[in-house]
Amino acid sequence: MGFVSNVLGFCGFGVGISTGLVIGYFLFTYFQPNDVKDPEIRPLVEQDSETLQRMLPEIPLWVKNPDYDRVDWINKFLEYMWPYLDKAICMTAKNIAKPIIEEQIPKYKIDAVEFEKLTLGSLPPTFQGMKVYVTDEKELIMEPSIKWAGNPNVIVAVKAFGLKATVQVVDLQVFALPRITLKPLVPSFPCFANIYVSLMEKPHVDFGLKLIGADLMSIPGLYRFVQELIKNQVANMYLWPKTLQVPILDPAKACKRPVGILHVKVVRAMKLRKKDLLGASDPYVKLRLTEDKLPSKKTTVKQRNLNPEWNEKFDIIVKDPQTQALELHVFDWEKVGKHDKMGMNVVPLKELTPEEPKLMTLELLKNMDLNDAQNEKSRGQLVVELTYKPFKEDEIPKTFEESKTVQKAPVTAPDGGGMLVVIVHEAQDVEGKHHTNPYVRILFRGEEKKTKYVKKNRDPRWEEEFIFMLDEPPINDKLHVEVLSSSSRMGLLHPKETLGYIDINLSDVVNNRRINERYHLIDSKNGQIQIELQWRTK
Amino acid sequence: MGLISGMLMGMIFGISLMAGWRHMMRYRSTKRIAKAADIKVLGSLNRDDLKKICGDNYPEWISFPVYEQVKWLNKQLSKLWPSVAEAASAVIKESVEPLLEEYRPPGITSLKFSKLTLGTVAPKIEGIRVQSLKKGQITMDIDFRWGGDPSIILGVEAALVASIPIQLKDLQVFTVIRVIFQLAEEIPCISAVVVALLSEPKPRIDYTLKAVGGSLTAIPGISDMIDDTVNTIVTDMLQWPHRIVVPIGGIPADTSELELKPEGKLTVTVVKANDLKNMEMIGKSDPYVVVHIRPLFKVKTKVIDNNLNPVWNQTFELIAEDRETQAITVEVFDEDIGQDKRLGIAKFRLIELEPETPKEVNLSLLSSLDTLKVKDKKDRGSCTLKLLYHQFSKEEQLIALEEEKTILEERKRLKEAGVIGSTMDALDGAASLVGSGVGMVGTGIGAGVGLVGSGVGAGVGIVGSGLGAVGSGLSKAGRFMGRTITGGHSSKRSGTSTPVNSIQENGGAKPL
Repeated sequence: MGFVSNVLGFCGFGVGISTGLVIGYFLFTYFQPNDVKDPEIRPLVEQDSETLQRMLPEIPLWVKNPDYDRVDWINKFLEYMWPYLDKAICMTAKNIAKPIIEEQIPKYKIDAVEFEKLTLGSLPPTFQGMKVYVTDEKELIMEPSIKWAGNPNVIVAVKAFGLKATVQVVDLQVFALPRITLKPLVPSFPCFANIYVSLMEKPHVDFGLKLIGADLMSIPGLYRFVQELIKNQVANMYLWPKTLQVPILDPAKACKRPVGILHVKVVRAMKLRKKDLLGASDPYVKLRLTEDKLPSKKTTVKQRNLNPEWNEKFDIIVKDPQTQALELHVFDWEKVGKHDKMGMNVVPLKELTPEEPKLMTLELLKNMDLNDAQNEKSRGQLVVELTYKPFKEDEIPKTFEESKTVQKAPVTAPDGGGMLVVIVHEAQDVEGKHHTNPYVRILFRGEEKKTKYVKKNRDPRWEEEFIFMLDEPPINDKLHVEVLSSSSRMGLLHPKETLGYIDINLSDVVNNRRINERYHLIDSKNGQIQIELQWRTK
Repeated sequence: MGLISGMLMGMIFGISLMAGWRHMMRYRSTKRIAKAADIKVLGSLNRDDLKKICGDNYPEWISFPVYEQVKWLNKQLSKLWPSVAEAASAVIKESVEPLLEEYRPPGITSLKFSKLTLGTVAPKIEGIRVQSLKKGQITMDIDFRWGGDPSIILGVEAALVASIPIQLKDLQVFTVIRVIFQLAEEIPCISAVVVALLSEPKPRIDYTLKAVGGSLTAIPGISDMIDDTVNTIVTDMLQWPHRIVVPIGGIPADTSELELKPEGKLTVTVVKANDLKNMEMIGKSDPYVVVHIRPLFKVKTKVIDNNLNPVWNQTFELIAEDRETQAITVEVFDEDIGQDKRLGIAKFRLIELEPETPKEVNLSLLSSLDTLKVKDKKDRGSCTLKLLYHQFSKEEQLIALEEEKTILEERKRLKEAGVIGSTMDALDGAASLVGSGVGMVGTGIGAGVGLVGSGVGAGVGIVGSGLGAVGSGLSKAGRFMGRTITGGHSSKRSGTSTPVNSIQENGGAKPL
């Protein structure tokens, strides 16, 4: 009897629990509103010490640490922008999700999946400090502390078999400390080629997940489990040193590497117009590519000839065949005074077919303005032969990729030996007594190399590279680097001046392969010089 | 018995389980919300808040200036500067050169950059302030300072002189840049960006000019001309309320609200001047007055010979775009052979005028508007103006906008046709043209508009119509036209001489 009663009791308990749960659900959960209220925010001054105590762990980093900067202006900006951002993001999310949902639901016999509500709430993310690091490498590193304790409300309604179930996400909170690295820096906007993002700590994630109104995250234990799961997942992907790379620019393109060679043969000119008063003109041709800083190339001068024949060949390096053009100017050589312009023309490189020689006869013009009346006068013709040869894919010097790691030395280097590369980047606070036109002199095993000199500058930037070929690693050698200033005038009084020097032990370079450091100059007040050294072997 | 008690027990257990869960839900929810509120409060703290939190251990390194410091941004900027400098110089060259061309002063035939590098010193951002002055707009003020070492060499070609390179040295720019973001409800959430230089404090752009391999005296007045050009570009394009509106791609949005547009009409009567300074060796000054709100639209009175207390009684109409911040500038010049000398300058803020009520003001003339530069406290006389401000209605505004466009287009066309060397050319001497143009705007549709509208082929039409519409001081206008054009003639290279000549004939002939 007792046994039956016990069994019945258990059965009854089972039934009772389920009915109890259902009743409890309807009693406590079902009629709860599923909207999210704006939290009541009281100014800090009014709050009591207990709340203040609770807040202490959340105090922004810029209050605690002097090396974090306050970024209130970004917070304000975000706050003003947030309502718009909220709508825009939700709209985009809906638009993205719609086709995916439509594609997926037939598979699962679900009638409809739709967003019943989608808003990110009224609270924007805040930046609680920004820290930047300055290194000698060509990169920018910043670490913002981002905290988003928002009140978003996302309700997804799933309809199937005439029933409706809702899944609701509320009160999402994400605190993260990402490191954003911009590198490499390139000389065209936006001035960096890649963004690298990685997290310095495991992020804090908290949210409420309601299934038909009941918050699953409040089940003791489950919240911790889910949180750990998410943290670990994210950490696996992005925790430093793992990074997320976002390419912005193609670095090879941004740096404008040479992509081909233009062979130019200046053949001859015909019927040039006379410029000299006495006798015929003395013509020569100047040629250069647009957007190129290199000096232009010149043919020889043909004395007293209005139909000169040159037959001279030139090679010009092309960086961008789409936009660059070849400029040809015919000048009249003069012994005294300015050389007269006799005419010019421009050939855009995109008109040329690669690898195919093209013989062109160009009308000489006064200028490239089509409407200029003066261009109607005949100034003669110029005959040139142009061939554009693009580099083959493997011929393109991929210096960019290789400069990141240390390049291999060329095959010509003997065994055990290699190449010592010295890159002189910049100097700071160098000052001469009489003049400051600094240049750098490098001495290594009696070999001397010099940079160009920078006029009147205390913080010169050279960015010049020098190469020494060696038979064995320079373990016991020193590199002597000297900053000098030379007088800009031909003054005899103070022709040269030393602004400081430094001797660098090369054994570190051999061991490290690459060293990029800032050295304090000896015999200088505050002078510093940044030098990169590389040891390249086979 | 067992079944019922079991069920009862189960039910109680189940309900209490739910209640417990519910309790947890509430607890966690309030905790989250409290945290959200905390984070929100801590997001923007001020000094008092910090005092309250930290008590006696207030971190002394923290301060709260109006313009928030951005040390980290400056660090990044100086690191990025070599790349930015290289990228920016190309952009600047492309965008500023046409501008220079447009604002090129008369007497210079070509103004181009022959070298432009931005140097090694990065600009500093002293501070940033963000506020929302209008709903849907964010206003960001950037305190920008740049004492750089850029190397800018301008290739200047002037009348009869071959190209001389002029170097801009020791450039210093201290200004507050105002950037207004117009918000939109679509990614990227910004539909347009407005850029301007805040006029208070006045933007400071200092530089010294130096001729490379020559002397600046090779072309007399060239440094003044360049100063003038830079000044005009800055004040007429960038200084608040003038602004540059950049629509951000992708979002079709109405940016016309942001653009500067005619708001009202100012009727100016230049009555007289008293006790002007005598600038001439023999006789007395030959004064005339130039009045403008925007330097692009200048009007000019006739010249009264040999008089230090001249009476002009000439009326002009000028367009005002922003009554709150704009001012009318009055300059009195002495006409002279060669460069005209300035006898004095004065400014009157439009905000001091009641709309629709005439007001007579007596302005004392100064040697310069920059109070730091005024050396002598000597009396330079005074100038009397009668002013009447009329606020445009919507329709009038539209008409005015159209007129302004037509005038600018005409000017551009004339310039392209090679009739006038630059828009400034038209301004300087042919002030009558501009005056008449504005006059037409004011009166709605004058006879001149018809002429302009019908677009009589060459510049002859507009010059003629301009002169015709002026009405007052016809002969003066004729004289002016003659003068400027002869000036222009000598300054032009041979190529443009033909059209200029024809203008001179026509311009001179019309009023007679």
